Amino acid sequence: MSILANKDTRVVIQGGAAGVNAARRMAEFCYLNKKSLYVEAFVYPPDAGKTNEVPYGSGLLTIPVYKTVAEATKNHPGINTSLVYIGADRACAGTLEALNDPHIKLVSMITEGVPEKDAKLLAKQATKLGKVFNGPSSIGIISAGSCRLGVIGGAFDNLVACKLYREGSFGVITKSGGLSNEIIWICSQFADGITTAIGIGGDAYPGTDYVSYLEMFENDPKTKAVVIVGEMGGDLEERAAEWYGAKKRRIKLLAVVSGFCQESLPKGMKFGHAGAKEGMKGEGSARSKSDALKKAGAIVPPTFGALGPAIKETYDEFVKSGQIVPVADVPASEVPKLPKTVEQAMRDNEVTVVPLIRTTISDDRGDEPCYDGYPASELINKGYEIPHIIGLLWDKRLISKQEAEIVKRILMLSADHGPCVSGAYATILAACAGIGLSQAVAAGMIMIGPRFGGAVTDAGRWFKYAVDNKMTVDEFLAYMKKNVGPVPGIGHRVKSLRNPDKRVKELVGYVKSLNIKTPYLDFALQVEQVTAAKKDNLILNVDGTMAAVLVDIGFPVDSLNGFFILARTIGLIGHWVDQKRQDSRLIRLFDYLVNYAAPKRREVPPLK
Amino acid sequence: MAKVLEGPGMGLMKKWGITVPNYVVVTSVEQFNELATVNDWIQKGKLVAKAHEALGSRFKLGLVKVDLDRKGAEAAVKEMLGKQVGSITVTQVIVSEMIPHKEEHYASVKSTRTGCEIFLANCGGIEVESNWGRVKKLTVEIGDKPAAADLDKLAKDAGFAGPVAKKIAEFANKLFAAFDNEDAQYLEVNPVVVRASDGELIALDAVTLLDGDAKFRHPDWNFQFAAEFGRAYTKDEVEVMAVDSKIKGSVKFIQIPGGNIAMLPAGGGASVYYSDAVVARGGKLANYAEYSGDPPDWAVEVLTEKVASLPDIKHIIVGGAIANFTDVKKTFGGIIAGFRKAKSEGRLRGVKIWVRRGGPNEKEGLELMRKLKDEGFDITVFDRSTPLTDIVDMALQNK
Repeated sequence: MSILANKDTRVVIQGGAAGVNAARRMAEFCYLNKKSLYVEAFVYPPDAGKTNEVPYGSGLLTIPVYKTVAEATKNHPGINTSLVYIGADRACAGTLEALNDPHIKLVSMITEGVPEKDAKLLAKQATKLGKVFNGPSSIGIISAGSCRLGVIGGAFDNLVACKLYREGSFGVITKSGGLSNEIIWICSQFADGITTAIGIGGDAYPGTDYVSYLEMFENDPKTKAVVIVGEMGGDLEERAAEWYGAKKRRIKLLAVVSGFCQESLPKGMKFGHAGAKEGMKGEGSARSKSDALKKAGAIVPPTFGALGPAIKETYDEFVKSGQIVPVADVPASEVPKLPKTVEQAMRDNEVTVVPLIRTTISDDRGDEPCYDGYPASELINKGYEIPHIIGLLWDKRLISKQEAEIVKRILMLSADHGPCVSGAYATILAACAGIGLSQAVAAGMIMIGPRFGGAVTDAGRWFKYAVDNKMTVDEFLAYMKKNVGPVPGIGHRVKSLRNPDKRVKELVGYVKSLNIKTPYLDFALQVEQVTAAKKDNLILNVDGTMAAVLVDIGFPVDSLNGFFILARTIGLIGHWVDQKRQDSRLIRLFDYLVNYAAPKRREVPPLK
Repeated sequence: MAKVLEGPGMGLMKKWGITVPNYVVVTSVEQFNELATVNDWIQKGKLVAKAHEALGSRFKLGLVKVDLDRKGAEAAVKEMLGKQVGSITVTQVIVSEMIPHKEEHYASVKSTRTGCEIFLANCGGIEVESNWGRVKKLTVEIGDKPAAADLDKLAKDAGFAGPVAKKIAEFANKLFAAFDNEDAQYLEVNPVVVRASDGELIALDAVTLLDGDAKFRHPDWNFQFAAEFGRAYTKDEVEVMAVDSKIKGSVKFIQIPGGNIAMLPAGGGASVYYSDAVVARGGKLANYAEYSGDPPDWAVEVLTEKVASLPDIKHIIVGGAIANFTDVKKTFGGIIAGFRKAKSEGRLRGVKIWVRRGGPNEKEGLELMRKLKDEGFDITVFDRSTPLTDIVDMALQNK
């Protein structure tokens, strides 16, 4: 047996993330007790119509979220309990909603910082309706082996350590949430554990106080003794003492009260929970409470530390008189173990996992990213720059200062080429249609291909093929004509021998000035001499030049288009921002710019 | 519980129809003189000046002066401003009109578990304290209002008769309205006086305690709550409060001068048991502290730094019960960082640290604490199998 929370309890949780977390803790308890989860619904208007996921063992349960308590109880008529995890400013209205629902008999409020007036009104309403309102600021209620409401009891290991998978003989009532677990633990170590433990909350006026719960425990034959953890302030402990002393009670009462330190503190200084405030003339002091409880016949250990031995003594007496028959503990092997997460199981060397992907360039698991093993901040602080990061991430090597300078110049020369080229035009068109940055830039990026900017890789590939196979220019051109087609990197739409591309001149001039070996560039320039002699505009274009130079400094052929893509992204972003800044209008092609070569208007034949 | 100073307290009473004397709260002599030029009552009537601070026994301290004219009030303001009482500096003075009167009465409303109690007495001032038997009460249940007949009976029971009986019943009704609507926990008017000129009831002095948790529904509570200690908060206390207001969970810190046992326990319940244990063993607390509700590690670190910098401490008690959901490893991470920082700044020399804790990730958390030994900390670490407050016994046995 137990009180308040038992095998018939069915729960709706009112609230968001904190409520979902509580449901997860409750599911762990259910898993330990091999029961199905008794949380049937959530009420949280912002998420109404959705579902919350609650892990149970290695699976996932899906619990519906409703807008109102009435909807929840209509769809789940078994619900008889509500847990309130709503913010202090809305908690009163939410709790009233639950109290007034005919299905609900118990409402436990976890919310802290609830105005006293609200708590009193809720207590009055609950009394009027013959229901139980527990809290505010309650850590929850737990009945060993059957039902857990809230996070009381803590982590799964603690549930097992405190033997909460089976019933004991001690009831617990505490204002302090943190101490609830401590007492549950003590009861499991010095005696046979708990029947039910209740956190009533540390506020000045809890909805239900010790006396109501003592009465319930008195009527629960399985509970032989009750442990009260009190605090200075108010008169709840005195009222409990009065109840206990009023007539002969079946249950034994053990109690500790905190706040003796108050006597030796500077006047007016007070600690602890909101309810811990001393009244006039010493009433509500720890001493007056402790004296009242002693006088009523309760066992009041002098310190918290003496509580364990006192519980043991009480337990031993019950065993001796035959009122408690000690139960053998469940062997550890029979207690369910919470499935581990994959991460935990891997840490414990219990499973191996075949990785989904493999990376050889970058690691984000530390406090900063490492590029090919080098921490980003160290690269910065030792004077490395963007081209070196490109070297590390694209080719897994630290390039030299000279190589970095070449890469930098390539990026600078290719960053943009005005609004008319395919990429920039596509981005501008998208920007003017109100498309966002990433999509508009992607639109420009899509244009990069064989006819625009995307010939760098192919140019590099064929120049490399020729040089590596020691071809002459004539052999190369013959091979290309037969097997490939036009030579990538050769030819330009508007530039020609007479109207040379300044970018090419600049890059070639710089690389040549360095006195390094450039076999691929040299070959490309030889090819140009032959092709340009045939036709004026068959010059080495900027793609071809970049390609040859990058192969010369060792970049792999497959990475070469990346240099153009990277560089031109700078320009595309610029064009998008530029259009945005001007608040440009939608572009529509004028019809006079279209040659309408489609058939003239004609009659549609009947459908056959 | 949040204490409100006299000025804003009288403002709230006035809002609910209670007549209060004319008053001004000033922070400088210039401001007082400025106000005097536009307020007839300052120029013509008799005045009272009081230090507007959360101080007890102001009369004895010479911080209440009565029967002043304008010049006298100006001198009183000048004298009181800047005066140092303990850690409090007087920064505000309230100057109010003196109400010539013969009779003094008492009225208050106090929160109870089921509602409130309205108290009346037909004596006031200090007289009421020695005649508590003459104070009569009326109990009002939460959600209800006092019936006019019950208030009349209360006035009669308290010995009021004639026209003043009707007036004091009305006064009590207004005081109840203020109490109920302003989420008050305690309102006291002592004395309520009968103004000689017209027989009107005036609230001469007010004690106002409000429910700080209800602030969200009172946009007009634009005043600061006063420190409840009879002293101003220290710099470190204010810093911890600032952290507390920003985080999920909470951190609390109160300094107690002259102590040598520093406290750094978890939880609002356990922390008081730890303090009790120190006092029971004859130790002297250097502070109260508490972290609870799974606060972020950085907040616990700030709290730890404050605790570690308390002067002349011999022990630090890092106690705690078995947590429900406060992550021991994470919060201990904050404490460890705080200890390391304190040590690097030359503190914690000769200080013994005692740890006891349980809860989520307790093994990892306690292990991290134990490792501090290797860094030269004098630290002893216990787990859940050691009873809660035994570390206090151990610390104080070899003091």
